[in-house]
Amino acid sequence: MIKNLYEFRQELNQKGIFFSFNGPVSVDILIEIGDTLKHKMKLEEASTTTILSVFSIVVEQLQNIHFYSAQKAMKVGSVSAKDEFGLGIIVVGVQDGNYFVLSGNPVANEKIPKLTGKLEKITIMDKKELRKYYKKKLRASSDEDSKGAGLGLIEMARKASEIIEYDFQKIDDNFSFFSLNIIIKRDQ
Amino acid sequence: MENLIIETSTHTPEINFDSEKNVLAIIGESYPENTREFFEPMFTWLDQYLKTIDEQTVTVNVELIYFNSSTAKVLMNFFDTLEEFAEEGANITVNWIYDERNENAVEYGEDFQEDLENVQFNLVRKQIPKE
Repeated sequence: MIKNLYEFRQELNQKGIFFSFNGPVSVDILIEIGDTLKHKMKLEEASTTTILSVFSIVVEQLQNIHFYSAQKAMKVGSVSAKDEFGLGIIVVGVQDGNYFVLSGNPVANEKIPKLTGKLEKITIMDKKELRKYYKKKLRASSDEDSKGAGLGLIEMARKASEIIEYDFQKIDDNFSFFSLNIIIKRDQ
Repeated sequence: MENLIIETSTHTPEINFDSEKNVLAIIGESYPENTREFFEPMFTWLDQYLKTIDEQTVTVNVELIYFNSSTAKVLMNFFDTLEEFAEEGANITVNWIYDERNENAVEYGEDFQEDLENVQFNLVRKQIPKE
């Protein structure tokens, strides 16, 4: 293992990944990651629009992991299941001059059809349609299963500069690994 | 009635509702862990306050640098409440204050503006001095 870490880091660097996190996404970690990335992009003199778009996508993706990942961790000292939060992975990088935010977490196979349905719907929409759909969803009462407002995916698609990419890889009969990649144009 | 003051944190906005000056302000960034829980005191206060309103002009300043999608839902409910009272004759102005450097900010304000008839909803562009 000690010999592989350097290679692993090199691989991340080669892919343009400048930030990576794999583990339990607590609220404190979410806030720290958001702040760190904001600070880094400011130093790179990215525009306010770009910084806030990337930040917003990072927050939505981390909140998705926090709430919906099928792999859970317990808060220290807690006993109740409502104190659980999700585990997942997120990487942020630059490719062809644009930022990308790629995240993943296990999901129960039975949740895939509904999630795929949502994703298929928004990946064929243009910006104008997404804006309208966002508003419609804002008006509709939120999904019962949804701790946010069920708007996160639409929000990310609105801020993305290219069609959002997603993928499911089967882990076993019960779970699959869900990945989501969002590209944000970098302007100055 | 007492003013409502909730201090800002990295991920929650400052809420400063002043019942004497009739100025209600929400300022900062908003991505609370439990959005509904965080904003609950605000709605409780607002309901009580709006019932006391007569001829006064109420000014609501919303200046959010960033808000997540579940906060958007809360904002919509907030504006709906204001609209209900404005429909009954309350004089309410909302200033949606946005950073001119953020190209996406005005769009979100416009989306809220669209649904309000009796609330005066202003999109206020804020110039940020260059650092």
